[in-house]
Amino acid sequence: MDDQTAIEKCRAGNKEAFRHLVEHYQAEAIGHAIAILGNREDAMDAVQEAFIDCFQALDRVDLTRRFYPWFYVILRNRCYKLGSGRKKREMSTSNEMEILAPSATIQPEDTMLLERAMLELPAEDRELITLRHLDGLSYQELAERLEVPQGTIMSRLHHARKRLRDKLTRLSFTGFSGD
Amino acid sequence: MTRVDCESVCRSTMATEDGYVSELSADQIESHLAGCADCRTEVRQLRALANLLDGQKRRQRTESVWEHLEQHLPDPLPTPSASRVGYPFVILGLLLLGYRLIEMIPDRHFGILFKLVPILFVMAAFSYLRENPFKINSELTLEGRVTK
Repeated sequence: MDDQTAIEKCRAGNKEAFRHLVEHYQAEAIGHAIAILGNREDAMDAVQEAFIDCFQALDRVDLTRRFYPWFYVILRNRCYKLGSGRKKREMSTSNEMEILAPSATIQPEDTMLLERAMLELPAEDRELITLRHLDGLSYQELAERLEVPQGTIMSRLHHARKRLRDKLTRLSFTGFSGD
Repeated sequence: MTRVDCESVCRSTMATEDGYVSELSADQIESHLAGCADCRTEVRQLRALANLLDGQKRRQRTESVWEHLEQHLPDPLPTPSASRVGYPFVILGLLLLGYRLIEMIPDRHFGILFKLVPILFVMAAFSYLRENPFKINSELTLEGRVTK
Protein backbone atom coordinates (compact mmCIF):
# COMPACT_ATOMS: atom_id res chain seq x y z
CA MET A 1 0.00 0.00 0.00
CA ASP A 2 1.49 3.38 -0.96
CA ASP A 3 1.26 6.41 1.31
CA GLN A 4 -1.45 8.11 -0.72
CA THR A 5 -3.72 5.06 -0.58
CA ALA A 6 -3.02 4.68 3.13
CA ILE A 7 -3.91 8.32 3.80
CA GLU A 8 -7.15 8.03 1.84
CA LYS A 9 -8.10 4.95 3.83
CA CYS A 10 -7.19 6.69 7.09
CA ARG A 11 -9.50 9.55 6.16
CA ALA A 12 -12.29 7.01 5.81
CA GLY A 13 -11.56 5.88 9.38
CA ASN A 14 -9.35 2.88 8.66
CA LYS A 15 -6.89 2.63 11.55
CA GLU A 16 -5.06 -0.32 10.01
CA ALA A 17 -4.03 1.95 7.15
CA PHE A 18 -2.63 4.37 9.71
CA ARG A 19 -0.72 1.48 11.26
CA HIS A 20 0.91 1.01 7.87
CA LEU A 21 2.10 4.65 7.90
CA VAL A 22 3.31 4.44 11.50
CA GLU A 23 5.26 1.23 10.98
CA HIS A 24 6.78 2.55 7.78
CA TYR A 25 8.05 5.81 9.30
CA GLN A 26 8.47 5.20 13.03
CA ALA A 27 12.16 4.27 12.91
CA GLU A 28 13.03 7.40 10.93
CA ALA A 29 10.84 9.54 13.20
CA ILE A 30 12.40 8.17 16.40
CA GLY A 31 15.89 8.83 15.02
CA HIS A 32 14.96 12.40 14.19
CA ALA A 33 13.27 13.00 17.55
CA ILE A 34 16.32 11.66 19.41
CA ALA A 35 18.53 13.98 17.40
CA ILE A 36 16.45 16.94 18.58
CA LEU A 37 15.69 15.93 22.16
CA GLY A 38 18.90 14.08 22.97
CA ASN A 39 17.30 11.18 24.83
CA ARG A 40 15.23 8.17 23.89
CA GLU A 41 12.40 8.52 26.44
CA ASP A 42 11.38 12.03 25.44
CA ALA A 43 11.79 11.10 21.80
CA MET A 44 9.37 8.18 22.11
CA ASP A 45 6.80 10.46 23.79
CA ALA A 46 7.22 13.09 21.08
CA VAL A 47 6.86 10.56 18.26
CA GLN A 48 3.69 9.11 19.74
CA GLU A 49 2.16 12.54 20.23
CA ALA A 50 3.20 13.58 16.73
CA PHE A 51 1.52 10.54 15.19
CA ILE A 52 -1.68 11.36 17.11
CA ASP A 53 -1.53 14.96 15.83
CA CYS A 54 -0.89 13.60 12.37
CA PHE A 55 -3.89 11.25 12.51
CA GLN A 56 -6.14 14.16 13.42
CA ALA A 57 -4.72 16.33 10.65
CA LEU A 58 -4.70 13.84 7.80
CA ASP A 59 -7.59 15.58 6.07
CA ARG A 60 -5.25 18.55 5.53
CA VAL A 61 -2.33 16.66 4.00
CA ASP A 62 -1.58 17.43 0.35
CA LEU A 63 -1.65 14.10 -1.45
CA THR A 64 0.48 15.43 -4.29
CA ARG A 65 3.47 15.83 -1.93
CA ARG A 66 5.49 13.31 0.04
CA PHE A 67 4.13 12.32 3.44
CA TYR A 68 7.25 12.34 5.60
CA PRO A 69 8.40 15.96 5.11
CA TRP A 70 4.87 17.04 6.06
CA PHE A 71 4.91 14.76 9.09
CA TYR A 72 8.39 15.99 10.05
CA VAL A 73 7.03 19.51 10.61
CA ILE A 74 4.50 18.08 13.09
CA LEU A 75 7.17 15.96 14.73
CA ARG A 76 9.66 18.78 15.25
CA ASN A 77 6.93 21.04 16.64
CA ARG A 78 6.12 18.30 19.14
CA CYS A 79 9.79 17.84 20.00
CA TYR A 80 10.44 21.52 20.67
CA LYS A 81 7.18 21.86 22.60
CA LEU A 82 8.11 18.87 24.72
CA GLY A 83 11.67 20.12 25.13
CA SER A 84 10.58 23.55 26.34
CA GLY A 85 7.59 22.51 28.44
CA ARG A 86 9.15 19.69 30.39
CA LYS A 87 11.86 19.83 33.01
CA LYS A 88 14.98 19.08 31.09
CA ARG A 89 15.71 15.37 31.19
CA GLU A 90 19.30 14.28 31.41
CA MET A 91 20.91 13.86 28.05
CA SER A 92 21.88 10.33 27.37
CA THR A 93 25.10 9.68 29.30
CA SER A 94 25.26 5.91 29.00
CA ASN A 95 27.83 4.20 26.89
CA GLU A 96 25.12 3.26 24.44
CA MET A 97 25.00 5.62 21.50
CA GLU A 98 21.56 6.96 20.61
CA ILE A 99 22.23 9.12 17.56
CA LEU A 100 25.18 7.58 15.75
CA ALA A 101 25.71 4.07 14.53
CA PRO A 102 29.08 2.42 15.09
CA SER A 103 31.38 3.71 12.40
CA ALA A 104 33.86 1.91 10.20
CA THR A 105 35.81 5.10 9.54
CA ILE A 106 36.75 6.13 13.10
CA GLN A 107 37.54 4.41 16.39
CA PRO A 108 34.58 3.50 18.68
CA GLU A 109 35.86 5.85 21.40
CA ASP A 110 36.00 8.68 18.87
CA THR A 111 32.42 7.95 17.80
CA MET A 112 31.45 8.17 21.47
CA LEU A 113 33.20 11.52 21.80
CA LEU A 114 31.55 12.80 18.64
CA GLU A 115 28.13 11.82 19.96
CA ARG A 116 28.90 13.42 23.32
CA ALA A 117 29.91 16.65 21.61
CA MET A 118 26.72 16.58 19.55
CA LEU A 119 24.63 16.08 22.68
CA GLU A 120 26.21 19.19 24.18
CA LEU A 121 25.02 21.30 21.24
CA PRO A 122 21.76 23.25 21.26
CA ALA A 123 18.89 21.15 19.86
CA GLU A 124 18.61 23.31 16.71
CA ASP A 125 22.28 22.79 15.88
CA ARG A 126 22.05 19.05 16.47
CA GLU A 127 18.96 18.80 14.30
CA LEU A 128 20.53 20.72 11.44
CA ILE A 129 23.83 18.85 11.52
CA THR A 130 22.19 15.43 11.59
CA LEU A 131 19.76 16.28 8.79
CA ARG A 132 22.59 17.63 6.64
CA HIS A 133 25.31 15.09 7.31
CA LEU A 134 23.56 11.88 8.42
CA ASP A 135 20.55 12.17 6.10
CA GLY A 136 22.34 14.08 3.34
CA LEU A 137 19.60 16.68 2.82
CA SER A 138 20.43 19.54 0.46
CA TYR A 139 20.06 23.18 1.50
CA GLN A 140 16.81 23.32 -0.44
CA GLU A 141 15.42 20.27 1.36
CA LEU A 142 16.60 21.63 4.71
CA ALA A 143 14.90 24.95 3.99
CA GLU A 144 11.63 23.15 3.22
CA ARG A 145 11.86 20.93 6.29
CA LEU A 146 12.73 23.72 8.69
CA GLU A 147 10.59 26.34 6.93
CA VAL A 148 13.35 28.95 6.65
CA PRO A 149 15.21 30.46 3.64
CA GLN A 150 18.27 28.68 2.25
CA GLY A 151 20.48 31.61 3.24
CA THR A 152 19.43 31.07 6.85
CA ILE A 153 20.29 27.38 6.53
CA MET A 154 23.77 28.31 5.27
CA SER A 155 24.37 30.66 8.17
CA ARG A 156 22.94 28.37 10.87
CA LEU A 157 24.79 25.34 9.58
CA HIS A 158 28.07 27.23 9.55
CA HIS A 159 27.65 28.32 13.16
CA ALA A 160 26.50 24.86 14.22
CA ARG A 161 29.58 23.26 12.69
CA LYS A 162 31.85 25.79 14.35
CA ARG A 163 30.26 25.10 17.73
CA LEU A 164 30.65 21.36 17.19
CA ARG A 165 34.28 21.82 16.18
CA ASP A 166 34.89 23.83 19.38
CA LYS A 167 33.21 21.16 21.54
CA LEU A 168 35.31 18.44 19.94
CA THR A 169 38.49 20.43 20.45
CA ARG A 170 37.60 20.88 24.12
CA LEU A 171 37.04 17.12 24.42
CA SER A 172 40.51 16.52 22.94
CA PHE A 173 38.98 14.72 20.00
CA THR A 174 41.60 13.31 17.65
CA GLY A 175 39.35 11.64 15.12
CA PHE A 176 39.53 14.34 12.47
CA SER A 177 42.66 15.64 10.85
CA GLY A 178 41.84 19.31 10.75
CA ASP A 179 45.07 20.43 12.31
CA MET B 1 27.38 43.71 -2.83
CA THR B 2 28.37 41.32 -0.04
CA ARG B 3 31.31 42.39 2.10
CA VAL B 4 34.27 40.03 1.86
CA ASP B 5 35.40 39.31 5.41
CA CYS B 6 36.80 36.23 7.14
CA GLU B 7 33.39 35.08 8.39
CA SER B 8 31.66 35.34 5.02
CA VAL B 9 34.57 33.65 3.24
CA CYS B 10 34.56 30.63 5.59
CA ARG B 11 30.77 30.40 5.46
CA SER B 12 30.68 30.66 1.68
CA THR B 13 33.49 28.16 1.21
CA MET B 14 31.67 25.51 3.24
CA ALA B 15 28.34 26.31 1.58
CA THR B 16 29.91 25.99 -1.87
CA GLU B 17 31.34 22.61 -0.92
CA ASP B 18 27.84 21.62 0.22
CA GLY B 19 26.58 22.40 -3.29
CA TYR B 20 24.92 25.71 -2.47
CA VAL B 21 25.51 28.83 -4.56
CA SER B 22 26.73 31.21 -1.87
CA GLU B 23 26.95 34.98 -1.69
CA LEU B 24 30.62 35.18 -2.77
CA SER B 25 32.13 34.17 -6.10
CA ALA B 26 34.87 31.56 -6.37
CA ASP B 27 37.37 34.31 -7.28
CA GLN B 28 36.50 36.35 -4.18
CA ILE B 29 36.91 33.27 -1.97
CA GLU B 30 40.16 32.18 -3.55
CA SER B 31 41.81 35.59 -3.41
CA HIS B 32 40.86 36.02 0.26
CA LEU B 33 42.05 32.54 1.24
CA ALA B 34 45.35 33.09 -0.56
CA GLY B 35 46.14 35.98 1.74
CA CYS B 36 44.56 34.85 5.04
CA ALA B 37 46.20 32.04 7.01
CA ASP B 38 43.53 32.13 9.73
CA CYS B 39 40.79 31.47 7.21
CA ARG B 40 42.76 28.65 5.60
CA THR B 41 43.07 26.97 9.01
CA GLU B 42 39.40 27.54 9.79
CA VAL B 43 38.26 26.12 6.46
CA ARG B 44 40.60 23.12 6.79
CA GLN B 45 39.16 22.27 10.21
CA LEU B 46 35.54 22.74 9.16
CA ARG B 47 36.10 20.71 5.99
CA ALA B 48 37.63 17.88 8.03
CA LEU B 49 34.68 17.99 10.41
CA ALA B 50 32.19 17.92 7.51
CA ASN B 51 33.99 14.92 6.00
CA LEU B 52 33.98 13.17 9.35
CA LEU B 53 30.24 13.78 9.78
CA ASP B 54 29.48 12.69 6.22
CA GLY B 55 31.04 9.33 7.04
CA GLN B 56 28.65 8.70 9.94
CA LYS B 57 25.25 7.00 9.89
CA ARG B 58 22.24 7.29 12.13
CA ARG B 59 21.70 4.44 14.53
CA GLN B 60 18.96 2.19 13.22
CA ARG B 61 15.94 2.22 15.51
CA THR B 62 13.90 -0.91 16.17
CA GLU B 63 11.39 0.40 18.72
CA SER B 64 7.71 0.21 17.89
CA VAL B 65 5.20 2.85 18.95
CA TRP B 66 2.08 1.29 17.45
CA GLU B 67 0.95 -0.77 20.47
CA HIS B 68 0.92 2.28 22.72
CA LEU B 69 -0.31 4.59 20.01
CA GLU B 70 -3.30 2.47 19.03
CA GLN B 71 -4.85 2.88 22.48
CA HIS B 72 -4.61 6.66 22.26
CA LEU B 73 -5.81 7.26 18.73
CA PRO B 74 -9.07 9.18 18.70
CA ASP B 75 -11.99 7.69 16.83
CA PRO B 76 -12.27 9.10 13.35
CA LEU B 77 -14.83 11.86 12.95
CA PRO B 78 -18.12 10.42 11.66
CA THR B 79 -18.93 11.51 8.15
CA PRO B 80 -22.09 13.59 8.33
CA SER B 81 -24.94 11.83 6.60
CA ALA B 82 -26.81 13.50 3.78
CA SER B 83 -29.99 13.63 5.85
CA ARG B 84 -28.22 15.36 8.77
CA VAL B 85 -26.81 17.96 6.42
CA GLY B 86 -29.96 18.38 4.33
CA TYR B 87 -32.56 18.42 7.11
CA PRO B 88 -31.69 21.84 8.57
CA PHE B 89 -31.84 23.37 5.11
CA VAL B 90 -35.39 22.04 4.63
CA ILE B 91 -36.40 23.65 7.92
CA LEU B 92 -34.57 26.83 6.97
CA GLY B 93 -36.42 26.92 3.67
CA LEU B 94 -39.78 26.48 5.41
CA LEU B 95 -38.98 29.21 7.92
CA LEU B 96 -37.94 31.62 5.19
CA LEU B 97 -41.07 30.78 3.22
CA GLY B 98 -43.19 31.45 6.33
CA TYR B 99 -41.36 34.71 6.87
CA ARG B 100 -42.03 35.76 3.30
CA LEU B 101 -45.75 34.94 3.62
CA ILE B 102 -46.00 36.98 6.83
CA GLU B 103 -44.16 39.84 5.15
CA MET B 104 -46.68 39.77 2.28
CA ILE B 105 -49.66 40.42 4.58
CA PRO B 106 -50.93 43.80 3.44
CA ASP B 107 -51.10 46.89 5.67
CA ARG B 108 -48.75 45.43 8.28
CA HIS B 109 -45.54 47.17 9.32
CA PHE B 110 -43.23 45.04 11.46
CA GLY B 111 -40.38 47.49 11.90
CA ILE B 112 -36.71 47.31 11.03
CA LEU B 113 -35.87 44.48 13.47
CA PHE B 114 -38.21 42.19 11.56
CA LYS B 115 -35.90 42.52 8.55
CA LEU B 116 -33.14 40.79 10.57
CA VAL B 117 -35.16 37.63 11.14
CA PRO B 118 -34.00 35.81 7.97
CA ILE B 119 -30.37 36.52 8.87
CA LEU B 120 -30.95 35.02 12.31
CA PHE B 121 -32.50 31.93 10.69
CA VAL B 122 -29.47 31.45 8.45
CA MET B 123 -27.00 32.00 11.30
CA ALA B 124 -28.87 29.47 13.43
CA ALA B 125 -28.73 26.89 10.63
CA PHE B 126 -24.98 27.28 10.11
CA SER B 127 -24.21 27.22 13.82
CA TYR B 128 -26.26 24.00 14.12
CA LEU B 129 -24.16 22.51 11.32
CA ARG B 130 -20.97 23.92 12.87
CA GLU B 131 -19.97 25.30 9.51
CA ASN B 132 -18.47 28.66 8.67
CA PRO B 133 -20.51 30.12 5.79
CA PHE B 134 -17.63 32.46 4.89
CA LYS B 135 -15.02 29.70 4.59
CA ILE B 136 -14.03 28.87 1.05
CA ASN B 137 -13.72 25.13 0.59
CA SER B 138 -10.42 24.57 -1.21
CA GLU B 139 -10.49 20.79 -0.87
CA LEU B 140 -13.35 19.79 -3.11
CA THR B 141 -13.30 16.05 -3.57
CA LEU B 142 -14.48 13.87 -6.40
CA GLU B 143 -14.73 10.14 -5.78
CA GLY B 144 -12.35 10.43 -2.85
CA ARG B 145 -9.56 12.15 -4.78
CA VAL B 146 -8.32 15.62 -4.02
CA THR B 147 -8.80 17.93 -6.96
CA LYS B 148 -6.69 21.01 -7.44
